[in-house]
Amino acid sequence: MSEHNPDTAFAGVSRLRGRIFGSLAKAASWLGVVVLAWLLFMVVVDAFGLTAASTDWYLGALVGFGAPLATYSAYLYWKRPDLRWIAVRATVIPPAGLIFAGAIFVLFLVFEPFFWFLYYTIAVLPAVAVYGHFATRDDTRAPLAAGFVGVVGLVIGYFVEPLILIMPLPWIMLVWVLVVPAGALIAYRQAPEDRQQQVTILGTGVAGGVLASYLGPALIGVTPDTAVILYAATLLPVAWYNGAVLANDRSAWPGLLGPVVALGAIGGGIVLGGLVGTTGPEPVLDWQFLTSAPSTLPANAGLFPAIVGSVFIIAIVAIVSFVVGVGAAIYLEEYAPQTGVGGTITRIIRVNIANLAGVPSVVYGLLGLGLFVNLIGMGLGIVLVAGLTLSLLILPIVIISAQEAIRSVPEEVREASYGMGATRWQTIREVVLPRAVPGVLTGTILALSRAIGETAPLLMIGAATTVFRPPTGFASQVSAMPLQVFYWSFHQKSAFRELIAPAGVVTLLVVMLSMNVLAIYLRNRYEQQA
Amino acid sequence: MEESTTGDWSETGLDESDGGDRDIEQIPEAETIIEARNLDVYYGEERALNDVSMSIPEQKVTAIIGPSGCGKSTFLRSINRMNDLIDIANVTGELCFKGKNVYDEDVDAVALRRQVGMVFQAPNPFPKSIYDNVAYGPRIQNDTENLDEQVEQALRQAALWDEVKDRLDERGTDLSGGQQQRLCIARAIAVDPEVVLMDEPASALDPVATSKIEDLIDELSEDYTVVIVTHNMQQAARISDKTAVFLTGGHLVEYGETDRIFQNPRNERVEDYISGKFG
Repeated sequence: MSEHNPDTAFAGVSRLRGRIFGSLAKAASWLGVVVLAWLLFMVVVDAFGLTAASTDWYLGALVGFGAPLATYSAYLYWKRPDLRWIAVRATVIPPAGLIFAGAIFVLFLVFEPFFWFLYYTIAVLPAVAVYGHFATRDDTRAPLAAGFVGVVGLVIGYFVEPLILIMPLPWIMLVWVLVVPAGALIAYRQAPEDRQQQVTILGTGVAGGVLASYLGPALIGVTPDTAVILYAATLLPVAWYNGAVLANDRSAWPGLLGPVVALGAIGGGIVLGGLVGTTGPEPVLDWQFLTSAPSTLPANAGLFPAIVGSVFIIAIVAIVSFVVGVGAAIYLEEYAPQTGVGGTITRIIRVNIANLAGVPSVVYGLLGLGLFVNLIGMGLGIVLVAGLTLSLLILPIVIISAQEAIRSVPEEVREASYGMGATRWQTIREVVLPRAVPGVLTGTILALSRAIGETAPLLMIGAATTVFRPPTGFASQVSAMPLQVFYWSFHQKSAFRELIAPAGVVTLLVVMLSMNVLAIYLRNRYEQQA
Repeated sequence: MEESTTGDWSETGLDESDGGDRDIEQIPEAETIIEARNLDVYYGEERALNDVSMSIPEQKVTAIIGPSGCGKSTFLRSINRMNDLIDIANVTGELCFKGKNVYDEDVDAVALRRQVGMVFQAPNPFPKSIYDNVAYGPRIQNDTENLDEQVEQALRQAALWDEVKDRLDERGTDLSGGQQQRLCIARAIAVDPEVVLMDEPASALDPVATSKIEDLIDELSEDYTVVIVTHNMQQAARISDKTAVFLTGGHLVEYGETDRIFQNPRNERVEDYISGKFG
């Protein structure tokens, strides 16, 4: 060993332990992935009744679905690789718009369109106008002034609301609340300088909204209000994107065919499968399932009240946990004393927030029951209590992730701001928060997607596992998707256990995954900026 | 570093605030803008500045040099009370800015920093547009009349206007390192402070960018008082009117005209330091 032997001096050094560890870890990871994938696959098979379909149906569907998609992808790949991302975006926008339309639809279930109309007109619009007025003059009092005007508007609205007896038709109010601001935004973004063109874009957008309110009922049989919501959330963004792409480069039109091809592929798959196959799949998860109330008959059962309930709850959780969580994180990181007795208390609080993140959710359910129902006296199993209890549950996670994000803002940037004579508040608002936003948003949304799947705390606060009508306000009895699935999975009829519950699980997972996709998108978007 | 090993510097009267010898040059009060009197700074138990007394002249460039950990940055940060941001920092003695002790109860550090700008070691523009970076100071002080002119003037003074005038909307962090540092200087002077403190402003830059910053400091001294901490003795010799030498333990050992300090240092340890024998 000690002597220098030219044959063995540079022989290999043993990496055996590292290799063993690497292989074991890899095997374990793959095992986990495969098991999870298998579980998801089985759930999807049940939810869509895929076992019922014959082999020839699959062949037909595969050809009908794959052929257009493959042709289009090949065309893009070989001929127009520059259009790839345009095609992807154009294909994603319509379904995203539909989901967005669903969210708006639920918002209008919470409060009447008149509510939104009144407060939009009397509070939001004046506040935005005041903000714009001050901000264009670079006056830092803009948020203050806008906030003041907004609050005054809210107060006036509160007293005026019961006095107004005559109101416009709902769809007219929706055009005013949704289409006009969306059109104005598009007009401003597309032609920041050109007044003439702005008016044209806005006019076209609003005219389209009015047209949609007449054509919607005639063509697809929805109410005029729903038609306007669909128009504002889906057609307007599509028209905007396509218009912007074409205005930039006329020859980019093949990229915009993405959604048409996708729709054609789905249609082609269903049609060809039906022609060739002897038996098709019997999906449980279909439009009927998403839009009906629960039923004692498996064929009529649906998830609609639970979906709306979950959206209500998540809306409350999002607002409460974001505001309180980010506020707490800012306090702990920027204001709380770090030394002396105060510093010790701060450290104790920090450690215990981390502990709270690990407290079982059942315990939070008990806390919600004791605090909101017994102590404050809110109703059992209502939307507000459900939302607040789940907010408590995810607050520690939101606080910790926001703390991490705030801590990751470099000290130099803070110093630069303080060195300019900025106060702590100015530094936080202008420098720290903008840089911390991606991390804060990611943490919050991931925590929200945990909250949407929680079952135990909702049971503890007395939420019903099955309700037959969607909630209509914050004091309504509410159920949520996981509760409904929980109920179905113990149902005495096997059809509920074996078909309906998987459909509920798939719906829940789709909602949760969309939220995570949103989190990733937001993070990437803000990270590019920062 | 004990006094016994450096016998000559207790003779020079460094430990007496009245200063027997002329190692620490006195400046007529009329021209003085910043004056430290027996200034001590502690970080917890550790003494970072040891009884520093010196007067900094108005509209001149004063360089502070010394080896790492000698307290030169601490001294700079005690001028605009940036040390307040460190919980364990404790300041005793006086530091007068235009005759007023900035550590008096009635002095608001935030208001003080609006008159004493600062440029840091690593360029640290905000993740905002070039325009918004320079406009930051005027905006937080609600001084936004003629904001465009203020931004343009600051960028011109920082010798950056011609390079960025067509892309004020781009992010400040997308500029090159040297440009970022000049942007930081523009940001600091946009609010028209009396004093600009610079903490090794060129240490993270390449030689070309460094020489631009040095030219810029020369021009700035026509309008502002510049106090610059630097590691680079040649730089201090090139750009400053006065030089203060801090040595280990937070002692100010010699202070005077730059030419005199570099050609004819009176203190043996300063001579050793300048000639590169340590530090």
